[in-house]
Amino acid sequence: MTPGSVRLPLTVIGGYLGAGKTTLLNHLLANPDGQRIAVLVNDFGEIDIDGRLLDSATDDVLRLANGCICCSVADNFAETLETVRGFAERIDRVVVEVSGVGQPHKVAQWGHSPGFSPDGVVVLVDPFSILSRAIDPYVGDTVVAQVACADLVVISRTDVAGADELEATEAWLDGVTGATVLRAPLPTAVLLGPAFRPLDVDHFPPARRVDHGSGSGELQHADHVTISRRLDGPISRPSIETWTQSRPGGVVRAKGLVRVNDRPNDRTVLQICGSSTMVSVDGPWDDGEDAVVAIALPGTPRAALVKWLNLLR
Amino acid sequence: MNSAEWSSAAQRPPTSEVPHRLLEELLLIWTTSLLRYHRQYAADEACVTDPGPNSTNPYRRTSILGMSHPPVGDQASPTTVFPARAIHTLDSTVPSGSAIAVKDGRFLAVGEVDELVDVYGGTVDHSLADKVLLPGFVEAHSHKDTGGIWQFTYVGFEARRGPNGRLWRGCTTFDAVVDRLREADRLLDDPDEPLLAWGLDPIFWPGERFDRRQLDTVSTTRRIFVAHSNMHLATVNSALMEQEGIDPDTLAEGVPKDDSGWPTGELQEFPAMALAGQTFRSFFGRTQSDESVLMFGQAARNVGVTTVADLGTSNLLDEAVVRQWIDIADETFPMRAAMFHGALMSAPDGDEACASAMVDLKRRSTDRVRFGNVKLLMDGSIQGGTARLRWPGYLHGGPNGIWLIAPDQAAERIGPYHRAGLLVHTHANGDQAVDALLDAFDQVQTANPLPDHRHTIQHCQMTTPGQYRRMKALGMCANVFSNHTWFWGDQHRAITVGPDRAARMNAARTALDIGVPLSMHSDSPVTPLGPLHVAWAAVNRQTPKGEIMGEHERVTVAEAMHAVTMGAAWQLRMDDVIGSITPQKFADCAVLDADPFEVDPAELRDIPVWGTMSGGVLHEGSPQTDA
Repeated sequence: MTPGSVRLPLTVIGGYLGAGKTTLLNHLLANPDGQRIAVLVNDFGEIDIDGRLLDSATDDVLRLANGCICCSVADNFAETLETVRGFAERIDRVVVEVSGVGQPHKVAQWGHSPGFSPDGVVVLVDPFSILSRAIDPYVGDTVVAQVACADLVVISRTDVAGADELEATEAWLDGVTGATVLRAPLPTAVLLGPAFRPLDVDHFPPARRVDHGSGSGELQHADHVTISRRLDGPISRPSIETWTQSRPGGVVRAKGLVRVNDRPNDRTVLQICGSSTMVSVDGPWDDGEDAVVAIALPGTPRAALVKWLNLLR
Repeated sequence: MNSAEWSSAAQRPPTSEVPHRLLEELLLIWTTSLLRYHRQYAADEACVTDPGPNSTNPYRRTSILGMSHPPVGDQASPTTVFPARAIHTLDSTVPSGSAIAVKDGRFLAVGEVDELVDVYGGTVDHSLADKVLLPGFVEAHSHKDTGGIWQFTYVGFEARRGPNGRLWRGCTTFDAVVDRLREADRLLDDPDEPLLAWGLDPIFWPGERFDRRQLDTVSTTRRIFVAHSNMHLATVNSALMEQEGIDPDTLAEGVPKDDSGWPTGELQEFPAMALAGQTFRSFFGRTQSDESVLMFGQAARNVGVTTVADLGTSNLLDEAVVRQWIDIADETFPMRAAMFHGALMSAPDGDEACASAMVDLKRRSTDRVRFGNVKLLMDGSIQGGTARLRWPGYLHGGPNGIWLIAPDQAAERIGPYHRAGLLVHTHANGDQAVDALLDAFDQVQTANPLPDHRHTIQHCQMTTPGQYRRMKALGMCANVFSNHTWFWGDQHRAITVGPDRAARMNAARTALDIGVPLSMHSDSPVTPLGPLHVAWAAVNRQTPKGEIMGEHERVTVAEAMHAVTMGAAWQLRMDDVIGSITPQKFADCAVLDADPFEVDPAELRDIPVWGTMSGGVLHEGSPQTDA
């Protein structure tokens, strides 16, 4: 990679047929919440874009007036990523739709490709069918593996599901996955990761609660807790360890671009998506400030989050 | 104008009442036949050479000899009679003869030399007098990179012969691999050009590790990328890792590290291999080149194959790819191709739109390149642990494999192609994948019955008698992967499914007994292209360790020969033009130096192949060299 360039965060969205992936992707394209998202799908046919939103279309790429693009995944995924990389200056992140029988955690490995960084494995679950799918002789093992290897599981269709279905689904998920389990609707920043640009820390928009899957419109409650902090300079390696182990309940996403004192010239990336934490180095440090941002569930005490972020020093 | 119109038009008397349009057609016929005559005549002058790096079609004849002697009083090309040592027509209505008569690129008749000359005139060509003729072999499951892979240096354990006839000795030691790569390194002038190799198989060196350390002894400056035999792994050197930033910070799965924390150089699966950046892309890109198609033709000719199916390796929604095949495969090319579009991954606007594009493309089929076919995949491979198996699953206890199409979506995906009248061939290795596929075809056929669809299950390795009965009921065909008994037979017995299920794999006998139309294939380049080897495997079912893997599933030589000719032609919907030595069909022959019906069946795969006749033109195989 070129020194100083920022890698595009790549989030994969999985889930068996009918889990709500297409609905979610269509919603993200129409309501990107200030992020310019490149969505990679297998089939353009499923993408439903309002004609007024469409800016231009070629065989491989649809461009939207809101800055988002939609690419079809050709038979050669490496080539598709190269194409997307060509748009790197114009987009903020990448979302890859995994086929209904695909294993999202395997597709997520493409996030390590040059120019990208992996940003979470999100698996959607339909509360009406998941329990029967899980014991289906053909696909039961596939469905279980999808949620077992997720970082974040999102239960869809919460607007029409009853408490019984939701609780039964959650109970089942508790037994098969260590992933963080949340109910839709969720803000874009929780689903895909925060729109993180180091210099924007002070202007980071509050996470908005948006609805996907029910078509009942967008809710504007800023009820997820977002907190960000600028660091004073390189932090110590042990403090990262402490920070990782002291994570308060309720934290669902975090991202930091920092320098660590044993590698002061490199950019170290701290990342939390649901149940997983990743610490990586993605290139040399460039201009910018060491900073970290976290998003937590509604009701999480702000003071606890402040204390937690202060552990990084 | 196709050839059927041609022959019927030519029989009409050219009277003054002949309508203007017919005259035009006759003129066209005359010019076309002149051209064909010229090409056929010139074929004797030219010798087939292997393409150089920048060559155009090496099969194209450039001689203009023959133009001064156009056939007088004959609107078509002359008849040539080829006597042969033995002719197996594989057509019971044309049982035997000592010679074939060929005209206009088609078989005219089979009979005795004198009789053929008396009736049809023409000349006698004695060049095949000591050869054995069979219908040209049809490989119903292969891939475009069969040829293109030989652009790279071969470092596999077993000896193999490239399309140009060069014997690549097996690299049985680390040193042999390194020596082979050093030699290739010396032949590259540009220091920035990566060294690309393939065929490495560490399974033959248990307990030892071939990694960047060995490759670094070849070059510390040139990027080296060595694909393993299964194409799912690669080993690269330190120079490549440095240029692409593969280092201790690389967190991707499939990048194992040594005790020092550095990646070993092994890149496992495609996301990890893609870390090799441009080198990775050029490796897989070059298998799509014109060169690749040309070398595919050479490889086919060398093993008696006159028609191949390209199963989903060419993106037929890309006009450049379509043009590539149509342009290269002219009447001087030694091979016909049935092209299958890989719709699993390449249907960006959905299956209905893809089906519609394939219907349009079908109209552009030529005598040599057939469109209108689609490939789908249900599961992975048995040796890779990714095929979907019924209970009790894998002997090694690994998880069941992967679905590439969701079982409850299969009917929806197949439907648009079926309704459009396209031919659908679907990859299904494991028995559970076949169950799901049969459910889907049951739905599709019930909703839109097509009496003669010829949809085929590809590989069909673990298909049970019950499944074959369902296939029969649904009118489906089976193309079994008979070469597996040789290439992975011992592994299937010991590791993947155990000796009892292994004995029932690729159940050609069962398929035939139940009445399912059968072919058998190599899946080249997964195993080497060569129908005689495939037939040998199905007839003998012998593993490298000498075990017989299911004697009860053996077929006869006659059945195997039928499977790799008419059986395959039927599944490609081409049995009206290829697959047997039958008058009116294309004059496509496998030209052999020994008779498959005479040799010991255990030696079927050792029969020397002289080459082929394709559309009446002789194509001698590449001279075999031992480099």
